[in-house]
Formats: sequence, C-alpha cells, structure tokens
Amino acid sequence: MQLPPQQVAVLEASSADEPRRIADLAAETERPPETVTGAAFELADAGLVDVVEETQEDVELTDEGREYAEDGLPEVRLYEAALELGADDTPVSMGEVIGASGLDGPQVDIALSNYARKGYGDIDGGDLAADSDADPDEDAEAAALESLAAGGSVEDADALDQLERRDLVAVRERTVRSVLLTDAGVTELMAGVEAADEVGQLTPEMLTSGEWRDAAFADYNVEADAGEYQPGKVHVLRQAAERVKEVLIGMGFQEMAGPHVDADFYINDCLFMPQDHPARNHWDRFALSEPEQIDDLPADLVDRVERAHREGVGQDGDGYHSPWDEDFARALALRGHTTSLTARYLSGVAGEDVEPPARYFSVEKAYRNDTLDATHLLEFFQIEGWVMADDLSVRDLMGTFREFYSQFGITDLEFKPTYNPYTEPSFELFGRHPETGELIEIGNSGIFRPEMLEPLGVEADVMAWGLALERLLMLVTGFEDIRDVHGTLCDLEFLRDAEVVY
Amino acid sequence: MPVVDVDPDELRQLTGHTEKDDDELKDDLFGLGIEYEGVTEDGEFKLEFEADRLDRLSVEGIARSLRYHYGDTRGVYVPETNSPDWTIRVEDVPEERPYVTGAVVRGVDLDEDALDSLIQLQEKLHATMGRKRAKGAIGIHDLTMLKGETVEQTDGSPGKSITYTGIGPDEDTFVPLDDDAERTPADVLTEHPTGETYADLLDEYDSYPAIYDDIGLFSFPPVINGRRTEVSNASRELFVELTGTDQWTIDRMCAIICYALDARGATVEDVTVEYADEGTELRRPDFEVQRKDVSHDRIETLLGIDLEPEEVVDLAERSGLDAEPEGGEELTYEVEIPPYRVDVLHPVDVVDDVGRAYEFNNLVPRYPDVSTIGGRTDSSRLEAAARQSLVGIGFEDLLNFNMTSEADNFDRMRLPRPGGDDATGLPVGDAVGYQPPATISEPYSEDFTILRTWALPSLVAVLENNTHRTYPQDLAEIGFAAHVDESTNTGVAERRTVAALVARHDASFEDAKARLAALFDEFDVALETPPTTHPSFIDGRTASVVADGDEVGVIGELHPEVIVDHDVEVPVAGFELELDALR
Repeated sequence: MQLPPQQVAVLEASSADEPRRIADLAAETERPPETVTGAAFELADAGLVDVVEETQEDVELTDEGREYAEDGLPEVRLYEAALELGADDTPVSMGEVIGASGLDGPQVDIALSNYARKGYGDIDGGDLAADSDADPDEDAEAAALESLAAGGSVEDADALDQLERRDLVAVRERTVRSVLLTDAGVTELMAGVEAADEVGQLTPEMLTSGEWRDAAFADYNVEADAGEYQPGKVHVLRQAAERVKEVLIGMGFQEMAGPHVDADFYINDCLFMPQDHPARNHWDRFALSEPEQIDDLPADLVDRVERAHREGVGQDGDGYHSPWDEDFARALALRGHTTSLTARYLSGVAGEDVEPPARYFSVEKAYRNDTLDATHLLEFFQIEGWVMADDLSVRDLMGTFREFYSQFGITDLEFKPTYNPYTEPSFELFGRHPETGELIEIGNSGIFRPEMLEPLGVEADVMAWGLALERLLMLVTGFEDIRDVHGTLCDLEFLRDAEVVY
Repeated sequence: MPVVDVDPDELRQLTGHTEKDDDELKDDLFGLGIEYEGVTEDGEFKLEFEADRLDRLSVEGIARSLRYHYGDTRGVYVPETNSPDWTIRVEDVPEERPYVTGAVVRGVDLDEDALDSLIQLQEKLHATMGRKRAKGAIGIHDLTMLKGETVEQTDGSPGKSITYTGIGPDEDTFVPLDDDAERTPADVLTEHPTGETYADLLDEYDSYPAIYDDIGLFSFPPVINGRRTEVSNASRELFVELTGTDQWTIDRMCAIICYALDARGATVEDVTVEYADEGTELRRPDFEVQRKDVSHDRIETLLGIDLEPEEVVDLAERSGLDAEPEGGEELTYEVEIPPYRVDVLHPVDVVDDVGRAYEFNNLVPRYPDVSTIGGRTDSSRLEAAARQSLVGIGFEDLLNFNMTSEADNFDRMRLPRPGGDDATGLPVGDAVGYQPPATISEPYSEDFTILRTWALPSLVAVLENNTHRTYPQDLAEIGFAAHVDESTNTGVAERRTVAALVARHDASFEDAKARLAALFDEFDVALETPPTTHPSFIDGRTASVVADGDEVGVIGELHPEVIVDHDVEVPVAGFELELDALR
C-alpha cells in the first residue's frame, strides 16, 4: 500500500512487541515529535497501530523551593538558630532567634507556622523553645527538597504533598504516548508499504511552474489546534458604552461633553442640593487642592440659583433653611455624577440655549470614593439622559425607560418612588435579571424640580435619569467582578476572552 | 438613607391593627416606600426610608403614615395645645446659635419602649435635620425637676421662666448626664465622653450656650443636659427645648417630637419664647399648617392621567393633607400641609404625594410623542474612529483610571515632578506628561492623588500586572488626561490622549513607528519624527511626533530603568499623542 512518507517512517520504526515512545520514534525517524504524533494518530485511525497514552507526573521546584533547597527550610534555619542560642535549654525570645536566623519578610511567618507543626519545639508567649530531640537531618521535607534539587525523585508521598501545599514544588501532569503495531500493521508491513510522493506546502514556484498539476497534497489534520492568535480588540466596557450610545442616538438623543473637574456649583448647587446636605461634605467626594476654585461663574445664574436655595421658586415655593455661600459653590471637585453636564447644558453655559423639544445624553466617567468591591470602583461610567418638552409626565418617563431597557433584553421593570433633592417625583428603577430572575436596581430617575429648572432658565419640563454602565453590562453579560475589567489591575486574559457586546 | 428600629408589636398597637402579621406589615410598609432591612437582636424591625420623610423617624410617625395608608385617618391633624405657663427668655446668647424653641408636654406615660423610642427619635433628628446637632439640638427634661423663675406673662397671668443665654467656658458648673462631678462647660468638652464628641461644634464660640432655671445651670446645648433634669420612666411631665442656627429647622424638629408624644396620649402645652434683645415674642410649638395652591392641570400633566376633583381631594386626604378645590378660571386646590412635613417645598411635592397615594405603579407607561434628532459630538466620533483604527492595527484597547499617583505618573517613568526639586537633572522642557497635575485634596489612598497627565504610565502598569500573560502585549488606550492650566474655565485643561505600546521579546522603535505611521495614514495626517529626548525613553531612540507640522506627542523605546522598575522582562516601545492631532 501507499502511505505518506512520515507514516511509512513511523510504521517501519514501530514494533509489535514493545510500545515505543513518540520521542524515541521522532529521534529515530529524524522528524519533529508533532509530525510523528500526527502520523501515529493517522495510522491508528487506519487500524495499523495502537497509540497508548500514559500520564506521568513531573515534579519541579518552584523559585521558593529552589531558594530553600539552597538556604535550608525556614523552620530548620529557625531551629538551628534556636539551638545556637541554647533554646533547647531555656526558651529564648522569638525576636532574638529570628534575628539570629537571618530570616526576614514572609519567611518569618513561614518558619513560625511550621516550627511547632514539625516538632522542632514550642512557641509560647513570645518565647521559643527548641526540642533537643528534633533532628533536621530527619526532616522528610528537607530531604525531599534536597533530592529534587539534585535532579532525583521522591518516594515519600506525604513529604511531596506537604511541599506542594507549601508551594515549594509544582507537580505537572504530562501525557506520554507510545506506539504499538497492530496485527493489521504487521500484515501490511510484510506485504510492503511505500511512501507516496506528497507535497507539504504549496509554493509560489509550484504555482508558476505548473508543477502543482502532478502533485499529491498531503492531508492535514484539519481538526488539530492551531497556534494562538491575539486579535486587536475594543475594550469590553467601551463596547458596552458604544452600544448604549447607539441605542440612545437611535432614540433621538444628542451627546453632551464637558469637564470632569468642575465647580460644585454645577455639580450640586444648580441641582438644588442644599449646601449643608451631608453628601456635600461627605468622604466620598474628591475635592481638589490644585486648582481649588473656579474663577468665572455667570453672576446672574449664581444669583438665581442662590435665590432658589434661599426662597424657593414660584408663588408658593419655600427654600432650604440652609446657609448658601458663593465661595462654597466655587470649590472644584471631580464630578460625582455627570448630571453636572446636564446643568451646564440646561443653563446654556455649555453653548447655545437648549430649546424644547430636546433629548440629550452622555456616557462618561464620574468619580466616587466608594468602598472598592466587585461592583464598585472609584471611577465609573454614568449613563445620563434627559428629555426636555412641554408637559412631560411620569408615564413618559416610564415609557422612555421601557424602550431603552428593552433594547438590552430587560423588559420587566419596576418603579419605586424615592427621594432625590433635584427631582420630584423620583423613582428608583429595578429590572429583573433575564437569567437569575432577581430584581436589581438599575437606575435613578425623576422629573427635575422647578427649583432646579427655573434658575437655569428652563420653562419646559425635563425628565432625567442616571445609571451605571457597569451595572447594565453586568446585568446583560453576567460579569461578576468589575476589577478584572477596569483599571491597571485588569487581567489581560480576561479581557482577551471577554465575549463581544453587540 | 435613615434607618430606624421599630418594635412591630408597638407598631401594631399604635396603628390599631393588631391582626396584621409580620409579613403583612412588611408589605404595607413597602407600599409606603419603607424597606424592611432585617431584624435587631431584640426582635425589632430595622426599617430604611427616604431622607425627606423625617416625620417617620420613630414608630409613632411610621404608625401615623400607615394609618393614612390604610385609610383609617384622613386629612390634616393638628394636636390641641394648652395655653402657656412657661417662658423661655433669650438674652446674651452666643451669636453663632441664636435660636431656641420648645414645648411643655404633660401626661406622658413613658414605659421602657416609649422612652427608647423617644431617645431614638431625638438621636435620628440630630443626625439628619440637626446636621449632627450643629443646626439643631434637642434637650428633653423632666419638668418637675425645673424651678422656674416667677414671671408675669403678657396676658397678666403668673408664669414661670427659664433662660437661654451665653456664659464663659468656665463661668459656671453643673453635673452633666452620666457623670457625678460638677464640671464647667469647658471641662465637659475635654473630660466627658459626650463633650469630647461634640467639642468641635463649639470651636468658634466665644461664649457657650447655657440654659438656666431658678436653681442654676441645667443644660449645656448642643452638647449635654444636666443630670438634675434627666428623664426617666417615672417622668410624667416634660420640658422640650431646642437650640440651633435656624428657627424654622428647630421648630420643625420640635413639631415632630410633639406629634410623637401626642400619638402616645400626652398633652402639648405652649411655651412663650421671649427674645429679650429683639423685644419679640413667639408662641411655640409652631403647629401652623402650611398652605400651597396646586393646580389641577399640573397634577394631571405630571401624572399623565385625568382625575376628577373628588379623586384629587381623596388622594390628598389619604396622604395626610387637606385639599380644598377653589373655583376661578383654572381649577386649583388650596392644600394644607401639617407642620411635621419638612419635605414639602413646592406644589410639585404635593403632586408627588397624590401620585404615591394613587400608586405610581398603576400608571401605564407611554413613549413621549416628541421628535428629536440624535447624534454624537465630533470628538466622540473621532475617538471611536481612532479606537477602531488602533484595533485594526492590532492593539488591545484598554481602559484605565483617570486618577493615579505622582509616583506612577512621574517617578516610576523617570519624569521629575513639575514644580518639585528636579533632582534627576534631566532635560525635560515641555516633555509629554511633564505638566502640573490637578491634585486631590486629602486623598484617601496614596494610589489616587492626582489626575493623570498622560496615559502611557497606565499602560506600563498594565504590563506590570500581566507579566504572567501571553506576549506579545500590544496595548493602546484612548482616554482622559489633564493638567493645571489657568487659562481654562475650571483651571484644568482636559484632553483626550492616544497612548500605545508594543511589548514583545524584540520590540523596537521601528515597531512603534510602523504602527504610528499606519494610524496617521488612516487619518491622512503627515507624520514626521525628528529626534528628541524624554526621560522615559532611551536617548537616541526617541522622537517627537509631529503631525502636519505641529508637535503633538512623543515616540520611542522605553528606558530600561522604567521597564525594570515595572518588573517587565521584555523591551517596550510606544508612543503618546493628542487625539486632536488626528483631526
């Protein structure tokens, strides 16, 4: 029969009596091991050989293990130092022994935690006693370590387990394949096999010379894994932001842009947040020391905002019974929400006055000194949106959300009335997770209060909402820990493996 | 949001619905926007609610809201008050804390629960409206322990008075609560635990607030009461006084306390507040109802539904308000709001109450019939396009924090700190990244003290944290960078920056430049790279990025010191430039 040359070589090198390792076959046939493996599997498929797989464990020292093999285990060093200081006689203070042992950093803890476990002595009330019967030469772990360092093997399974637990060795499993001729293989060999004249790689020369017409192309194992390819990729959170922007633009929203560092005036005062509101001096705010204050605020706007705070707006309006100081409003901070952009746009300081009807949005960063955990970072993307029109109602607000969230597969929404200083009525939004069925808070919303709108010169109604992009992404994709994604502690592998958002 | 601990049995008692089991109660509370957060060791409900409804800071207030919710009570309720017997004289008070209010409450039955509830209400009011006692502080005293100075009241009848005044820090002594020793106010601030807690409040005071009766000093607001007038289970008559920086605030706090005691069957008696210096007199507590005109049309447009006037009146009454339709061209209601409601500033707040009583979740959503045209900003489109190009060139797009530290932004990149001692003596000039950073005051973490002035350090930090991941690591980020610049509105110049690097075993200047050239080609911008120096890069392998003749960035092989300092073991080449250069 005719076979590809590499298969012929492997078949001829194999034996029916004794399994031969791939590595040996590769050496004998002078072909790369992966070629031999490929050929062996092809032959096995044809029933000419059996491929036998065996799992082998390789034990390797870790960096730490290598270090201890050289310097001795920390607990042994501690014991030896203790003996030097006569701790087998009278207990010696721990600090003294540690000093004498030359251990430092995490090694101290390691030594102390293994010391008593292995019977080198006791540690009591800061004093260390050494057991004179202990013998470091009998230490099974030390012996195993030494043997491994010398390139030997270890028979003592307990000691090996212990070393692995201590991260001093790494045990890797390896599959070793061997090839054994089958009866059919023997028969074919006896009948005679010859190598087919096959072409591996199609070359430019073959194409131009026409040589390709007479060539037989060797079969590839088209199911085999190919080499890894790392594509360029847009960050998953940016993908989500783009998706949100696309949805909002489709709903008629215009994008806003504006400063991350802004005056409290735009972050809070324009939003009718009283100056003695606890959140304004709260620890979660990032105030700036350089620069400290904004120089230029529109005087008439400041007057109107101050009046709203002090007196309220409208015939029957009341203000806050709180102090109001322009200097306090000038303080600069990292914006705690992107509603500061909304204040700039509504007041007209961002450019032209906005006339109703209008829809605006931004998907940009806000800053809050939260406790860091799986769902909170100091910086997060806020999706901010608002609609300005005459006679907007709570129903319009609900309808807008229903449309927006349905684009992300979230159709079961609940509105919980809530309190917010700058909106009335106000609602927390809850959405049911499409998979877990859990009700999760997904945003905050409401209709801006007259005390906010009137000083900004807005006569129509404005309804608005804000939510964290990260939360939406987690809800939609099932992400669990935002720290893998955002910031310098991100995990490249996680980002590389992240599924595309569309 | 505030949390109060409430005994469910007491709540049942006070609402008159002893038949409700715990689950029903929780559902009813949720209907009011009060969330059940768990249970205390003593089996009390922990209830969380919105920060505007401070009248719900006690079991009495929550019971009142529930009774309205159930429809057991309707409309505004104002307790009857008896005419005054007591006067609070105000003279020579500290100018920082000029206001006082109060009430006398008789026929109080303070069992253990009622006393706990009162103390909790006092604490919660201090924490919220009282702004940790700075704006308003409450003192409650056993009236029988007070000896009033005899005075003649305005109507000629005999009365008694106490005096709110200011004294020197060591001018007088009293025995504070939880103490045995006579102390001066100044001693209290340094020696008594409660005094130490609130000492900061009096930092700026020349004279200290003090309240006297005929016997002497008995209260040192806003810090602590005297032991003589301590309230106990046996107290049947109370004197409530509040001092603060704003009359309205303390009057509202006082009303909330009086309503809670009234709900337990006590009788409130007015007191006269006599501001001797101004020659004015107030009768307190202030139970005056507020009135607001609310238009029927506004209720309908805000809720998006049609309502009959009777429905509006019904919904208002079920919220504890009264609404009287008023004729005229446009239908409006004169709405009365009880004195414990501190959250109603504007007619829109009444609309919200009406909506809550109607139950917002009964409203049918509708998409607003308003046509607008969507779009994004130029710079946002440019950023998205540039990001696509970088990805097409093969970069992994990253997203890092805008906040960083001077160490990461400057030191570890071998850049001197602008304005600092230039100890390294390196020539920097106007090097990319070498600009004064916007700085956070009182940073909470040494990792986040400034806004980054450039983005390349963030990418190098990603390399540092991913040395165990597969190479090549070709990383890019288009993101925010900023520096102090007095010529801008906020004093901070903010910009979008493009940073990219190639990290692999054979990364070179050429790798970076080939990619940069590809990017410039895509945006049809002419690229030149004249040699320059930058401390972060190797001399002789560093160039300015010049776009259509303007210097916009830097490109080069990263300095080995920078690479090694980040524990990276492969060469790194990279560039950073202003996004606007691609316009």
